[in-house]
Amino acid sequence: MKRGRDRKKEPKPKDLHHSVPDSGGMDELLEALGYKVKSTDMADVAHKLEQLEMVMGEDGGVLQLSDTVHYNPSDLSSWYQSMLSELNNTTASDLSDSTHFANNSSSTMMIDFSNNTQIDPYDLRAIAGGAIYGVADDSGLENGVKRMKGSGSESVVDVQPPESPRPVVLVDSQEAGIRLVHTLMACAEAVQQNDMKLADALVKHIGILVASQTGAMAKVATYFAGALAQRIYKVYPKDGRETSCWEILQMHFYETAPYLKFAHFTANQAILEAFAGAKRVHVIDFSLNQGMQWPALMQALALREGGPPAFRLTGIGPPQPDNTDALQQVGWKLAQLADTIGVEFEFRGFVANSLADIDAEILSVDTREPGEVVAVNSIFELHRLLGRPGGVEKVLESIKGMKPKIVTVVEQEANHNGVVFLDRFNEALHYYSTMFDSLESSELSQPNSQDLVMSEVYLGRQICNVVACEGTDRVERHETLTQWRNRLNSAGFAPVHLGSNAFKQASMLLALFAGGDGYRVEENDGCLMLGWHTRPLIATSAWQPES
Amino acid sequence: MSHSICDTILKTNKHNNFPINDHMDLLIEILQRLDGRSLSTAACVCKKWWSIVKNDSLWEHLCFRQLSMPPSVGIRSVVMALGGYRRLYLVCVRPVVSRLKRRRRVSYGESSEVEMWLSLFSVECYERLLGGGGGGGGVVAGESTAKSLRFLCEGVNV
Repeated sequence: MKRGRDRKKEPKPKDLHHSVPDSGGMDELLEALGYKVKSTDMADVAHKLEQLEMVMGEDGGVLQLSDTVHYNPSDLSSWYQSMLSELNNTTASDLSDSTHFANNSSSTMMIDFSNNTQIDPYDLRAIAGGAIYGVADDSGLENGVKRMKGSGSESVVDVQPPESPRPVVLVDSQEAGIRLVHTLMACAEAVQQNDMKLADALVKHIGILVASQTGAMAKVATYFAGALAQRIYKVYPKDGRETSCWEILQMHFYETAPYLKFAHFTANQAILEAFAGAKRVHVIDFSLNQGMQWPALMQALALREGGPPAFRLTGIGPPQPDNTDALQQVGWKLAQLADTIGVEFEFRGFVANSLADIDAEILSVDTREPGEVVAVNSIFELHRLLGRPGGVEKVLESIKGMKPKIVTVVEQEANHNGVVFLDRFNEALHYYSTMFDSLESSELSQPNSQDLVMSEVYLGRQICNVVACEGTDRVERHETLTQWRNRLNSAGFAPVHLGSNAFKQASMLLALFAGGDGYRVEENDGCLMLGWHTRPLIATSAWQPES
Repeated sequence: MSHSICDTILKTNKHNNFPINDHMDLLIEILQRLDGRSLSTAACVCKKWWSIVKNDSLWEHLCFRQLSMPPSVGIRSVVMALGGYRRLYLVCVRPVVSRLKRRRRVSYGESSEVEMWLSLFSVECYERLLGGGGGGGGVVAGESTAKSLRFLCEGVNV
């Protein structure tokens, strides 16, 4: 799969390189939207708007404006002024019969100042209004904003011939989006060069630019800006897993997007094939969490020819903040399921802060019955070991000590472990933008968007870790399939090709996800990759120790 | 003569009032040809029909009748353990089949499709276990309340 993005094509933002954009006294928020209002004039502009509203709020008030064209709406102050002076000059006309609509929109957005004593100049909706856009925009209005319908008179409409188009200020959100991305990168570069003052100013500017965006772009930018801010102010977040919310967040991610399901289904297929013919099997799961992967495997084992084997599961998990034995509870539920479908089941849980603390002896793999086939499963766990030198090598050695028939590894397909911060940042920005895009498309079919928000928080924690943390705190050290291949090869593992069955199950799974047209499964030399459009996002691979 | 004519008339009348409830095997034959929705509707007709439709074998037939090969032995006990064929149909088979029909460019093969149903079903059953029954054992409006299968539900137009 070729990477669709090509970072080198994007020009460096020279204007933002060394200075914060100088507003020249103009209000920054409005400028992001294309208006030029001096910060000192803000109260004055608001007052004019209030006056206009009072006039137009009356019955047929808007009709008092004749067909004079008011130019240059981006200069709000003089624009409103010209309208006001026109209104002051016209006498109150007879509005009963022939009416004409000043603009063809059915509604205009105005502010009801009677409720607000304090005008918040940063409330963008209070300033940008329907009068400027000419088309009603139904995005959520707050209590302070009153919608006024154009005069509901049903008398004959004297339609004026269309004039030359009135100048309308349009927000080019695409352009604003590009500016946002450039500002993010510029901020990261400032952090890279340790210019914290500049970085700080840029981060604040990002906050303003984000307001002009919606959807996935805005969310990604918010998370990255937040992470940058944490790095700048040296407020490092704790490892996401230490909070008990983490498992709940991951469950929501499991439900919203196909990534975890893909991982489980493809890994299970490889394990199932490796277990063919065995009477006793043992799975060592480095990433037990809620155990969602295992019901499907147990069901497949129950239905295989010759009947199910005896199934032993060893689950490894982090210590819980509230000291509950979460692993045992999961084991208990799995046992219940196994019992109903008639699979002989045994569970052991191991609590470990890091996988490096585990080895074959602790897991007492050697006390297995003869003929027991072992599988090791690791989903999004191995990369956490890369923070400590020698960590992953030690774990790979201990895996070999377990003498597994198959080792299934699922990892994010990205390089977020580069030495240079800026490179990591840019990689992560592209990766998570793609992820958020894919989540947004699946949202269209699901009515409950709380899941989506939780999934985004789950990803947001990863973003925070990649950007804001360093050293052993930084655990989200994702590496690409190629890098993992090298690592596993040097550690003495040979690849096992995932078969066509796994590919079929994966494709079918994606076909079931509404909005799933964007998801792609690709086979890469025996490994399977799930991606969004042209960008691969996670990769499943299977291994066995070289004999 | 009139006697036999009377007899014939009486017999014809009896044929016109064909009491289907006296012919259970015929009723079941007919029900086996219905789709899921009609089957659920049929369950509402009367107590007798309800008790027949409640029987999982009708739903088992419904799940597998489109397939060319019969399901392997042993599937039944697993499906019954996980919640029964009616639940399997409503929660997995129907949404999967209809989604795939809309998307189908490639045929995945019958055994793969059956595997998919069963995998999703086992996940759903497990999630109900995890939820401690809080999600309710029932199937609401034909769709699972277990969240992991929510991606199969149709979006609601608000």
